[in-house]
Amino acid sequence: MNPALIAGIVAGAVMSGTSLLYATLGEIVGERAGIVNLGLEGIMLIGAASGFAATALVGSPYLGVAVAAGAGAAANLVFAYVVVSRRANQLAAGLSLMFFGIGLSALIGRPFVGALISGLPRLAVPGLEPGGIGARLLSYDSLVYLALPTALLTWWLIFRTRWGLGLRTVGESPAAAFAAGLRPELVQYQALTFAGLLGGIAGAHMSVALTLTWAEGMTAGRGFIAIALVIFAKWNPLWAIAGALLFGGAEGLQLQLQAAGADVSPFIMNMTPYLLTLAVLMLWGWRRQSAAPAALGRTFVGVE
Amino acid sequence: MTRSIIAAAACAALLAVFAAGPVAAQDKPSLTVGAIYVGSVNDYGYNRSMKDGLEEMKRNIPGLKLIEAENVPESAESERVMEGMIQQGAKLIFATSFGHQQFAFNLAKAHPDVYFEHAGGWMQAPNFGNFFGATQAAWYPMGVAAGKMTKSNTLGFVVGVPIGYAIGNVNAFEMGARSVNPAAQTRVVVTGGWSDKAKEAAAANALIDQGADIVTMHVDSPATIIQAAASRNAYAIGFQSIEAAQLAPKFWITGLGFTWGPFMTETAKSVMAGTFKPAMVRQGLGQGMMAVAPFGAAVPPDIRTLVTASADRVGQGFNPFTGPVTDNTGVVRIPAGQAWGGEQMGNFDWYVEGVIGKAK
Repeated sequence: MNPALIAGIVAGAVMSGTSLLYATLGEIVGERAGIVNLGLEGIMLIGAASGFAATALVGSPYLGVAVAAGAGAAANLVFAYVVVSRRANQLAAGLSLMFFGIGLSALIGRPFVGALISGLPRLAVPGLEPGGIGARLLSYDSLVYLALPTALLTWWLIFRTRWGLGLRTVGESPAAAFAAGLRPELVQYQALTFAGLLGGIAGAHMSVALTLTWAEGMTAGRGFIAIALVIFAKWNPLWAIAGALLFGGAEGLQLQLQAAGADVSPFIMNMTPYLLTLAVLMLWGWRRQSAAPAALGRTFVGVE
Repeated sequence: MTRSIIAAAACAALLAVFAAGPVAAQDKPSLTVGAIYVGSVNDYGYNRSMKDGLEEMKRNIPGLKLIEAENVPESAESERVMEGMIQQGAKLIFATSFGHQQFAFNLAKAHPDVYFEHAGGWMQAPNFGNFFGATQAAWYPMGVAAGKMTKSNTLGFVVGVPIGYAIGNVNAFEMGARSVNPAAQTRVVVTGGWSDKAKEAAAANALIDQGADIVTMHVDSPATIIQAAASRNAYAIGFQSIEAAQLAPKFWITGLGFTWGPFMTETAKSVMAGTFKPAMVRQGLGQGMMAVAPFGAAVPPDIRTLVTASADRVGQGFNPFTGPVTDNTGVVRIPAGQAWGGEQMGNFDWYVEGVIGKAK
């Protein structure tokens, strides 16, 4: 393997892993509060479209990311109202949210297809030779650099704060949380707002930093990969970092190997990310039961 | 009570809208033409080229009315969209994506008085013809431009789906490059889809990691790849629409685009005159349906002259796939004295010498 190939694989894993990480972190917080959100794909698309649109209109990619986060949170609040206040089935509501997101993002993005934007600038570590391997490995946009601190912050929130204790209690047993004086609905609203913020940012990273394009359905299933990553990460933000890099890397790896001239059919190459996903889930499968929040997916109907 | 008042008000408003419709209608159009696109016409790519052709037709024929629909999927949905256009008076319909073929053909049988032109297919009926650009040989001058402009002697080619026609494009590109620069190699990355933006960006980056200083592509829209290349100071050669230069003017070399306008104009005129003849039309450089895009500022005059001369040569009938042609494992695929052309362009499942990649 040549150094350029390895640098390319690592940089590719970081770039495509970033949006996966944000989305996974958000979903972890939501599921820690006992709510599965299958609509994550839709949230990401809304983020990608609104972030791109705002960047095209105002010219500031940072504002675009902020708008995407706000739009993601707003859409997730609709979901929260349906599943928390109206106590609807989470799986059905999540799938509806996904289709809603596909449609809404197409509507938002339609006037902006083909718009040219200047995306999030790449901030290179100073002093590296331009075009060299060091520059390739250490020149990312600000959302990439912020991903790791966000994961650490999320971990700290969940496991080291009073709010996190309440969150986990709600996810394990809303009745117990209620008996302890917490308001499970409020905690779930807060968790889903946080998840929406991060889901919107995840989408914006794809449109405003990675591709500089908006295209309908451009997340191409990454929202669902993030939901699988939550299981892989055992609902722990620190494991999510490794998972996002692994899954982000799987996609980049096969493209890098093709460019390097590996003697393998491109058809087999394009299968590798999915083969890896299956292999990882097989290896992890036996441990996931113990890690899942006990009340995940259940509807809390209050305590008499 | 309040509800019924609101309902009545809504009905009145709706009635007013419908009543206003016919008043706004203009004089009867000379011809109504329907067009369906599989994506957005602002893609700087394939759909844009179709839109440009139809607009040219509209300018050429006074009074022509154009009804368009974007993002029409390659499913039965497209049949409903085209049916709606026929209800609105369309007498000629351009179904512009490969997967629209069967649905357009179904409608052609049901509506013998409506004429159809489909892009890229093979089906024929008295009121159903098809057309496309002969792209493969046209890629040869693109290779000449790349072979002359490269400093690393490494060219990158992102392919969406490795069908025979796409492989033929890569092959002609590499042959053109080698004709002016025997050391030029083309590395190929297949993304597995015609429009997967994140993968296209990653593929362009991977090619640049492996030394490519010029990247080109055969996907629906060149936008993502051209911008990804420019972000790493790599040059790009475009494909599909000749308008892609504005995506990254500084790093633009040239491009190959479809120019459908003359054919669409002729077709519309033949429908108006009642002389429509179905045919399988395939035209390359110099024949009307393909053109070389304007050069970027970075391209010196001598290279422009060379590329233009090469394009003219292709237009006059030069066929790069004239034997002997050797594949990248050393096997002679087209023996001396033979040449591949026309339908054989879909048969490529091998890359020519100088291409780094596997076709199957």
